[in-house]
Amino acid sequence: MRTLRHHRFRAVLAVIVIVLALLSSCSVSRVHRIVIGSKNFTESLILAEIMAQQIEAHSHLEVERRFYLAGTYICQQAILAGRIDIYPEYTGTALTAILKQKAVGSEAAVYQEVKSEYERRWQLTLGPGFGFNDTFAMEIRGEDARRLHIKTLSQAAVYAPQWRAGFGYEFMERPDGFRGLAAAYGLRFAGPPRVMDLGLLARALRDHQIDIAAGNTTDGLIPALDLFVLEDDRHYFPPYEAVPVVREQTLQSHPEVGRALAALAGKISDKEMQQLNYAVDGQHRDVKQVVHDFLRSKGSIDGN
Amino acid sequence: MNFVQFILQNRAQVLDLTLEHLWLVGVSTVLAALVGIPLGITIAHHPRFNKPVLAAANIIQTIPSLALFGFLLPVPWLGDRADRLAILALTLYALLPMIRNTYTGIRGVDVAVLEAGRGMGLSDRQLLLQVEMPLAMSVILSGVRVAVVISVGLATIAAAIGAGGLGELIFRGLAMVSNQLILAGAIPAALLALLADLGLGWVERRLRPQ
Amino acid sequence: MEPHTADGAAIEFRDVSYLLPAGQQILSHLNLQVLRGETLILLGRSGSGKTTTLKLVNRLLSPSSGEVCVNGFSIKNGDVIRLRRGLGYVIQDVGLFPHFNVERNIALVPRLEGWPEERVQGRVRELLELVGLEEHIASRYPHQLSGGQRQRVGVARALAADPAILLMDEPFGALDPLTRDELQREFLALQRRLSKTVVFVTHDLREALRLGSRIALLEAGRVVTVLSPPEFLRSQNPLAAAYARAFANGPNSAAY
Repeated sequence: MRTLRHHRFRAVLAVIVIVLALLSSCSVSRVHRIVIGSKNFTESLILAEIMAQQIEAHSHLEVERRFYLAGTYICQQAILAGRIDIYPEYTGTALTAILKQKAVGSEAAVYQEVKSEYERRWQLTLGPGFGFNDTFAMEIRGEDARRLHIKTLSQAAVYAPQWRAGFGYEFMERPDGFRGLAAAYGLRFAGPPRVMDLGLLARALRDHQIDIAAGNTTDGLIPALDLFVLEDDRHYFPPYEAVPVVREQTLQSHPEVGRALAALAGKISDKEMQQLNYAVDGQHRDVKQVVHDFLRSKGSIDGN
Repeated sequence: MNFVQFILQNRAQVLDLTLEHLWLVGVSTVLAALVGIPLGITIAHHPRFNKPVLAAANIIQTIPSLALFGFLLPVPWLGDRADRLAILALTLYALLPMIRNTYTGIRGVDVAVLEAGRGMGLSDRQLLLQVEMPLAMSVILSGVRVAVVISVGLATIAAAIGAGGLGELIFRGLAMVSNQLILAGAIPAALLALLADLGLGWVERRLRPQ
Repeated sequence: MEPHTADGAAIEFRDVSYLLPAGQQILSHLNLQVLRGETLILLGRSGSGKTTTLKLVNRLLSPSSGEVCVNGFSIKNGDVIRLRRGLGYVIQDVGLFPHFNVERNIALVPRLEGWPEERVQGRVRELLELVGLEEHIASRYPHQLSGGQRQRVGVARALAADPAILLMDEPFGALDPLTRDELQREFLALQRRLSKTVVFVTHDLREALRLGSRIALLEAGRVVTVLSPPEFLRSQNPLAAAYARAFANGPNSAAY
């Protein structure tokens, strides 16, 4: 003979279990919501914000921002699991860190390889590139470049024995960093390169403590400090073309997203990215405002 | 804006992340129960295995969680999807309380009751299902409760490897140095743990034999 | 299979030995017969093997050598569950299921046997009356009962499926003297009504004399002698005589 108490207890338990099961299986409606992710450095943030504002301006979709995800792996996992729909990536990073292949080939070849692999394996699409490469940059002072009339690394190699070099820790350690570069261009410097924090390199260069540094092509400080990026004429550094990665399903459900992203193709040059980076990092301006002004200047969105 | 306002303003995101969190905890707890409870029953009935099994579960417990997430990453299939990996790791951590409490609960059943039951002609299965399990249920549930509370906490770390959940808010908040974000992740996670503890504690008390 | 015991022997032990895994010999070439309808007492001191002997009947233990026969058939290879369902088993600690109320405790075996619910409930009422418990006890839980009530439920539970044979291992040992006396009296009344075959383990001679139709005296794993109560008191057997003397010297000298 079961008591009434016993039955009631079981009923409550059953209700709780059912509620939990329902809760965990349903998710808040994503029908009109796009989630954009970014990595945790300024450039990624800016690109993601650009995409966000672009989509907001050109569709009725609500855009949710999940920025500052810790790194490439985290973003990849998030987009695979469908937790984000879009995030900005670099072709070189996708090729080496995610697809685990060697980064060789021209910019176009690398783009194609990544695009086809992403589509085949994970139903992820690469949108058209934003228009710039964020790869390693060998920087010298602008005045030296003009005075010596040098534009490429091969030309600079001639003067290298008179220069002191400064690099970040990672560039020194990686086999595809300094060691490979020195071999590719036959670089020999006056003494061993100084190793210092990335943030200090540009200033050390300006202050004549070093004569050549390894940075990124889109460093905000390049225009600000009148630094010059030597051309990698032997194509030693792999291409790191900035591209949007999008879930195919998102594009199918919301073709307006594809159109909005396509409108951004090639819209950002290396120089423009440097300026955007500098505006946020150097001038400490608000990312949203910087992006808004940029998109307005490009005519992508209406001013207000 | 304090974190409460932040949560309210970003309800959809916080709810999404909470559901992700619950999914990680729920699946791993169920898996741990499916493995751990039968294992606990087995070692309770065959005590010569209890030392190695409990020792193994104990060793898993001593591995720092972030380290476990980390060295499971290169494993094929598992490392491909962070949520799979996280669920496996969370399941492993939930095993010890499940196994140990099941073992203790079943061993705690009065020997006279078992003897009388066997003498009356109850088969091993009937004895297990009708006598041992109901009598051990409160202790077993206490193990489940501990496992769930541990999992809710560990699942916040799983965000470090990309498994999502409320931990993601914490990590993003750390990267942005934003207290609102950190709290928007930490407080709901703590509340989840608390609710689980209280809720399961209530069920446990109701099931305790008088 | 051909029955191969004499008519009237409900249980027979043939040359039964029992060794512990560690090697100690508990029973040594035990031969004993339990006649149908009798109350056979297994009497002896601790370690004499009486509980072991009892447990061989329902196969909670298995003999190292020799054969145990119930109702004429060797129990070695048969279905142990069916064997046990046909035997009632009452132990000193009672072993009531604490998460079942009295009704569910008593009704367990009949329900497992698939009895229709009505018959089960009727049987429960019948048994409660039989063991002298009021009907309202049926919804109580074991922890709410006194020691005496618990053991009565234990007996009721053992009788539920109406087994022909009852095995009882010092069932009243844990009770206070008054309750013990009460239950002993009720046991006798029950036996008069039901005429079950009972194997009853005790180390208390007075209980043995009061309840038994025959007393089997065990010592060091062997049956020393099997006598009726009056025979026992007159016996010249040194051990039996020692027992009788020990109990005759007053209740205190025979304290547990």
